[in-house]
Parts: sequence; structure tokens; C-alpha cells
Amino acid sequence: MIVIDAILQGILMGLLFALVALGLTIIFGVMDIVNFAHGEFLMVGMYTAYWTSLLLHIDPLITLPASAAVGMILGLASYYCLVKYLLRGPMIAQLFGTFGLMLFLRYLAMFIWGTDYRIVKKGLLVGKTLSIGPFHLDWTKLSAALLSLLAFFLVYNLLHRTKLGKALRATALNKEAASYMGIRTDRMNALAWAIGGGTVGIAGGLLVNFWYVYPTVGLLFVMIAFASVALGGFGSIKGAFFAGILIGLIEMLFPIFGHLIGSDFLGPHFKFTIVYFAYFVIVVVRPQGLFGWKH
Amino acid sequence: MEALRDAFSFKDFSKAERVVFGLFSLFVLAFPWLGTGSFVKTVMIQFLLFSLFGMGWNTIGGYGGQVELGKAQYVGIGAYTVALLMVWWKIPYWVSMPIGVFLAIGYSFIIGYPLFRLKGHYFAIATICTSLVLQDIFINWKLVGAAKGIELPIHEHPDFLYMQFKSDTYYYYFIMLLFFTAVFYMNWFRKSKLGYQLRMIKDDEEAAESLGIDARWCKIKAYTIASAFVAVGGGFMAVYNLYIDPYSVMDLDLSIKIALMAMLGGAGSLWGPIIGAAFLVPLDRFLGSWLGGHKGLVGLDFMIYSALIMVVSAYQPRGIWGIIEQFRRK
Repeated sequence: MIVIDAILQGILMGLLFALVALGLTIIFGVMDIVNFAHGEFLMVGMYTAYWTSLLLHIDPLITLPASAAVGMILGLASYYCLVKYLLRGPMIAQLFGTFGLMLFLRYLAMFIWGTDYRIVKKGLLVGKTLSIGPFHLDWTKLSAALLSLLAFFLVYNLLHRTKLGKALRATALNKEAASYMGIRTDRMNALAWAIGGGTVGIAGGLLVNFWYVYPTVGLLFVMIAFASVALGGFGSIKGAFFAGILIGLIEMLFPIFGHLIGSDFLGPHFKFTIVYFAYFVIVVVRPQGLFGWKH
Repeated sequence: MEALRDAFSFKDFSKAERVVFGLFSLFVLAFPWLGTGSFVKTVMIQFLLFSLFGMGWNTIGGYGGQVELGKAQYVGIGAYTVALLMVWWKIPYWVSMPIGVFLAIGYSFIIGYPLFRLKGHYFAIATICTSLVLQDIFINWKLVGAAKGIELPIHEHPDFLYMQFKSDTYYYYFIMLLFFTAVFYMNWFRKSKLGYQLRMIKDDEEAAESLGIDARWCKIKAYTIASAFVAVGGGFMAVYNLYIDPYSVMDLDLSIKIALMAMLGGAGSLWGPIIGAAFLVPLDRFLGSWLGGHKGLVGLDFMIYSALIMVVSAYQPRGIWGIIEQFRRK
């Protein structure tokens, strides 16, 4: 019983992890850049939702467009002000450039809002649970999972059904060839950052309903996103989706496994350690991931 | 003999560089006699320590071109070995420090073997992951003090065996000795066979392999050397601070700082890590002490720091040394 409950919880959490990983994998797929600041984009999305709901007295779920917009603007701003210039340099400069962005956003948040842990206390769904037989699911998590599913559906269709998506995928496959075909790859890069920032902003808006927001919240989620992206294959959207869910399951089932065999060393405080470890094993054993097409 | 001659010969540098390095060495030697305050002295010790870390990182990150972001785990191994052996069995620093270095070397072989199957981003993130796993284990491991960390016993009288002194000057001279050893070692390293092999791997790995260089094995060797360097610094941190916890010696921020200083100064050059540390350590400390104390200004120092990182990586990826060379060529 406890196992089935954990599986349900794991899937709900995993859908959110997948949404965080989505933006990371799109940006990586299109321009081969690992965005370290991704977790901080999430943090900004969370703060946006938190403050709009608090100051405008509206439900945190309605603030999603604001989070998405702020995320998108942040993504575009980082692309045009920083990443565009980083592209000229070697990989190490790109890594440190986005890392600098991560530190900057983190300490900017600390500067403005302090280090307090904040959580949304009032809201339509906050604290309510849906009971199906013996299982209790938080409405906040459930709605977050459903909306993340919806976001995935929209982005997937945008990339695979529209002309814009085709151009984006062409840029990802071969930048030079795409530019010969008249695709403005510069704009496609910006689009990737806009989508990436927007989706992670939404994820932040959803997450704030049941997770504390503080300036360094991003690190945990960006590491989970790295693990999901590696597991699914860098650049693969389908991969990010299933890997996110898988990681949600690992994170929920691992403490129960430890509990069942009565080992203290496999307790809940290691549930994220196992995710990092999983990343290490995955990239060594199968570097292209589950659905990877890029190496 | 030849190795020694290589280590002490700076012939292939320009005259200006040799003069500057000579003056700098004199300054470092004479520094404790300049009568500066204790704060400046701690900054100076930090600078020498981070130069040591940066030079270690430079072997694999600079000459080898592998973006390594997990050096903090070796700082941790070095620091914890020294601290634990001292607390448990009262083993002197001079015995426990080499043990820590050997542990770091052994561990880096175990981790390096699978790690160097990876390249590029995969490698960079994997090094972060291994470091985080080790940190998580230490945070939860009650035997080694868990998240509370360990305090080293303080001796009443200064004790050379346990590296406990009343004055920072002794620590200063000790770290200075390590620093110069490192400089001479690196001077030899860049002219050694491994040094040339690594640079070739950095430029073109396939071409290097076609010439019969075992790229993976070379990288593992360089990684091990880097780990040993960093573990020495970690052992020093333990006796100098007299207190360590997983957050101070194993944090991701520390790994990043190490790599960052080497990169900011100029990765792949002998002077790079020293310049980077000379620039960032004082900036970090002075900004921290000026702004950190004011209420409402929390985080401003790091904002300036990170803005600098972004500007340098966008403007000149080869760091400050790259900028200097750019000007010299004009």
C-alpha cells in the first residue's frame, strides 16, 4: 500500500521534475550549452508567483502567466546580454558564463528578499487533499502535475507540428545547414531560451504551492534536471519527460526501500544523493541516455 | 637531475615575466615583516592556499582542457583525514597529511577510471555529481561528525608536530613553502612528457591517440596529480582553521572557486592560477568584510563577483593572462 502511494507521489513529483528538465534539454539540444542558471530561473519563477499572489491577493495558480512571462523575459535577456557573447568562446567559458549568471541571480534574490524561507499559505488548493480510497493526494501536487503535462503537450506540439518548431529542430541538428536554408539561427537560439525560461517559470509557479522558496532553492532542482536530462538523453524532449518521472519514482521509492530492508544508511536524507549517483552511472554506462540522439 | 634543472629554469619566459616573478617572490618572502594587520595576513594565506589549489586544477583543467568542477571532494578528503586521525588517535600532521594525500590519490584513481570515459559537459556535470555524493555522505555520516563537523583539539603550547602555532606567521611560511614547491613542480610539469601529451590531447584528442598517446590514461594521471595538490591544501585548511564541516571543505562553491580562479587568471599557463587567486581572493575577502557586515547588503559582494565572472568569460575566455598577452602583441 505504502509502495503504491509512493509510486503515485513519485509520478506527480516526477512530472514537475520533467517540466524543469524540459527547458534545459531544449536549450542544450539547440545550442549545446548547459545552462547552470536554470535552477535560478526556477527560483525567480517561484518568487514571481509568490509575490504576485501575495500582493495582488489572488490564488497562486492564477499567477502562472506572470511566472511564465517573467521566465521568458529572463531567458531572452540572458541570451541577448550574455550567452550570445559566450558562444564565441570555448566550452569552459560557456560553463563559467552561465555559472556566473546562476550566482548573480541567486545573490540578487538574496539581496532583495533576504534568506528567509517563504511558502504560500493561502490558496484555493493549498492544504486540500483528494482521497481516492486509501490514497491521499495533495491537490496542489495533482494540479501541478496536470498543468505540467499540459505544458509538455503544448511544447511538444510546437516543436513537432509547426513550421517554427521544424526550424528550431533543424538548427539543433545542424546549425550551418539550417542557416544556408535561410533559417535565422540567432533567432532560433533566442526562441530556445524563451521556451526554456518560460517552461521553467511555469514550473516555478506550480512548485511554489507546496515547496518553500528561498534564494538557493535552485541548486537541488538543477541537479535533478541535469540527471533527468542525462537519463533521457541530452536534447531529447521525450527523454526528459520519461526520465523526470523515473527520477521522481526513484526519489520516492528509495527511502521506502531503505525502510523495508531496515537500513539507516538508505534513509530519506539520501534520496537526492541517489539521484546524483544515478546520473554518474547513467552517463558512464549509456552516455546517449534513453532517447538520446546527440552525443 | 634534469628534472630539477627543468623545475628551476625559467629561461623560456620573457625577461619582464622573470623580473615580475622575482619581485613577487621577494614580496611574498618579506611579507610578514611589513607589519600588516592580521586580517591582511589571513587574506595572504588564503591567496597562497587558493593559488595552490588553482595550480593543481591547472594540470587537468588548464593543460588537459577538461572542465573539472569537483575538486572540493579532494579538499574534503585531505582535511578530514588530517582532522579525524588527529582526533581519534592523536596522529601528528606530518603523518596524517601524506596519508590524506594517498587516500585522495587512490580515490581519484577509482573515480577517474569511469569518469574519463566522458567528455565535455557530461564530464563537467559528472564531476559535480561525485563531489555532491561525497558531501551528502559526510553530512549524514555520524562517525565523522555529520553536518556538525569536527573540531580539532587545541593544544596549550605551540606544537610543531600537530602544526599548532600561536601566530599566523608560522602558518604563512608553511603555506608559502608549499606554494613555491608547487610553482617549481608546475614549472617542471609543463615541460614534462605528460605536460606535452596533455596539451596535445586538449588541442586534438584523436590526433593524439593516433600518435599512440593513451589519452584516457594521461587524463587520469593528470587528474590524480591535481587531486594530490588539492588534498595537501585540504590538510592545511584543517590545521589552520581548527574546525571543518562538510559545508566548508566540500561545498560545490569551493570547487567552482578553485576552477574559476585558474580560469580567470588564465588556464593552461603557469602564472594563470596565481594571477587569478591574487585577483579574486582579496576581492572576495575585502568585499565580504566591507559589505557583508552591513545589514541589508547581504549578497552584494557575490553579485559583483559573479558579474565579473560573466564579463571575463564573455570578453576574454583565456582570462586575465590572455588580456595581458593580447596587449603585449600589439
